[in-house]
Amino acid sequence: MTPRRRGPDRRHFALALPSALLTAGCAAPRQGTGRPGDPIVLTLLSHYSSGALKAALQEPVDEWNATHDRVKVRTKAVEFTDLLTTFMVRQAAGQGADIIQPYCLWTGQLVRAGVLRPTPPGHAAEIRRGYSPAAVGAASAGGRVYGYPTEAQTYALYYNARLLRAAGVRRPPRTWPELTEAAERTTRRDRYGNTLVQGFGLSSYDDSTTVGQTLALLNAAGGTFVRADGRGTAIDSPAGRAVFELEHRLVRRGASAPGVNVYQAFPAGRVAMVISAGWWTGSLKPLMGADYRDVGVAPVPVPRAGGKPATLATGFLLGVNTASRFPREAWEFLRWLNAERTGARGVTRMSALQVSVGSLTGRAGDMRALLGSGGDPNLRPFLDALAYAVPEPNVPGAQQAKTLLRANIEALWTGQRSVEQALRTTRRQVDQEVSRLW
Amino acid sequence: MNTLVPERADRPASRARRPGPGLAARARRRQTVVAYLFLAPTLLFFAVFLALPLGFALLLSMSRWAGFDLGDIRPVGLDNFTGLFARGSTFLTPVLTNTLLFALGTVAVALAGAVLVATCIDRLRFQGLWRTLYFLPMVTTVVAVGNVWKYMYEPGGLVNGVLNALGLGSVAFLQDPHTALPAVVVVQAWASAGSAILVLTAGLKSIPRSYYEAAELDGAGAATVFRKITLPLLRPSLLFVCVTQFLTGLQSFALITVMTKGGPGDATAVAALEMYRQAFSYGDWGTASAAAFVLFVVVLVITLAQLWVFRRRGEDT
Repeated sequence: MTPRRRGPDRRHFALALPSALLTAGCAAPRQGTGRPGDPIVLTLLSHYSSGALKAALQEPVDEWNATHDRVKVRTKAVEFTDLLTTFMVRQAAGQGADIIQPYCLWTGQLVRAGVLRPTPPGHAAEIRRGYSPAAVGAASAGGRVYGYPTEAQTYALYYNARLLRAAGVRRPPRTWPELTEAAERTTRRDRYGNTLVQGFGLSSYDDSTTVGQTLALLNAAGGTFVRADGRGTAIDSPAGRAVFELEHRLVRRGASAPGVNVYQAFPAGRVAMVISAGWWTGSLKPLMGADYRDVGVAPVPVPRAGGKPATLATGFLLGVNTASRFPREAWEFLRWLNAERTGARGVTRMSALQVSVGSLTGRAGDMRALLGSGGDPNLRPFLDALAYAVPEPNVPGAQQAKTLLRANIEALWTGQRSVEQALRTTRRQVDQEVSRLW
Repeated sequence: MNTLVPERADRPASRARRPGPGLAARARRRQTVVAYLFLAPTLLFFAVFLALPLGFALLLSMSRWAGFDLGDIRPVGLDNFTGLFARGSTFLTPVLTNTLLFALGTVAVALAGAVLVATCIDRLRFQGLWRTLYFLPMVTTVVAVGNVWKYMYEPGGLVNGVLNALGLGSVAFLQDPHTALPAVVVVQAWASAGSAILVLTAGLKSIPRSYYEAAELDGAGAATVFRKITLPLLRPSLLFVCVTQFLTGLQSFALITVMTKGGPGDATAVAALEMYRQAFSYGDWGTASAAAFVLFVVVLVITLAQLWVFRRRGEDT
């Protein structure tokens, strides 16, 4: 469809006043003259602001800067909760970074807003060859690839083997009936109703936690959240109803206490099982110390024995800003960082980076090479899941759809809505948002 | 001789009158120009930080903008406003209803508590000390207040600890959709009652003691004195407190962000939080701006209603 012509007066008005103020208020940083042969400085904006992640990213960047005279890379980082806001504000102010690392959920939104540049054909072909389908799907919108996948997070079942053994459960559950039984048997309460140990940790900590758990179970049941055309939700399906009924039953029977923060309760030994993403292993190990040996990871249970395995995949990608004046150099740096094989094991620098902080990339071969030499065995189920995981929907309204789903899930858990009401309300609200034409 | 003197007097008078009007007019114009020159910094501040953002928000409320490219603002008429009230929208219910309930609850609890505390302070010594103590929550950061109260409400926290000590079961205050909003209202009222107490103690001091002496001579009881003398004469202070507390409640979302994030479900989702999400999380600045204007209309109507009610009662009295 041809974009509607915009009136010049309105456009000029919209541009003139705010742009004049922004220009007067702040000067754009110097990023080189752009003349052939002159130095180029590329800026990279990510959420790697903590000590371990920051140091891990800085190492290859320093290597690049030491081995390339003309093109230099400078990194900036903010907290994840500020990442999208920072993209928005800097872009509107004309100071967008050349390279950005967005959360895959935002891909559709950033593409619609014209922020992410489509990956050049050569790079796109390499990405499709070198990464798992889940990782490629998470970094794509409308069938086009928009960057190199970096973190690839799949979801699996964390369990505390000590708590399971104490309750007489000999192995982690593989089916939903086994999950329900194990959860109920491991739950402990005091005489005032305070939960001492909850069997299965459904948590309302944030959108990603609440929805991630639910979508992992939904995918395991063969369902999806958004229809393939991206214009409506598919939550109101037999699979969706089964997931909502499972979660409703777990909470009603007291096997789950959604008010508890699982990220604190599980390492404290107060939750027997949690569905979460692979990055958590890196946080649990230093937090639990010697108790980490009690932690195991298993594939997400399926509704019935023999069911096809599936789970949720999400992650981050590194893409180039459409506002960048040096896209060719930016893509070359990304290729060097994400695709060039180096070292004795012949893995990419990004793969080595992610494994060093307890995370994964979508390069299954790299992961096997790195994890095979004494890596954390708990990462293996997440690696295996790369082959069958379903990417998180990233249509333009995905963030709002996720928040709306989270609200309805919590309403279901707290008895505010029945299963039918929650499904119907979710469908109505999400369809209203994702179907809007832009 | 007499005739000559008046003639001389008349001549200077007529001479003086001729340039009078011109001089006065020019002087007034100069004064006006000087006044505006002195006002210029304030007017510039007003234009840059109030008028311009307001105009931009009005433009956005009738446009579609993702927040990234200032050149990509596309007009859509009233689509954003109609979207707010569409069948699948969450703005009217529960967002707006939650906002109104939150504001009303805050006003009710804070006002009742403040009147009680102010009346007690008025009868105590060291009034400055007591006012300072009750004002302290006002100067505490909202994030700290929210986190402390959140831990107090937790199962195993202070509140449930007291309930357990009394032999009662725990209540998941912030995880139950029926108790989450009242729980946050209590915290908001506690945090904002300090300013109300200051205003009301000042109002109490402005009531002449002779009224109370006369009532005492007539044998009126304490309850009668409070109902017939104190409350009616506190009406201007009560009006001010009601209006300001209501405005604060309608616009507040930092406390809710810290304590409940709008949950459980959407039981504590309020308008300001929804606007923030629409703009910065969903990239839908048009809907956010439209919601802001709808909230503005609601605030205006309620404030005018409060003023009308209180003034009408005042006139009756």
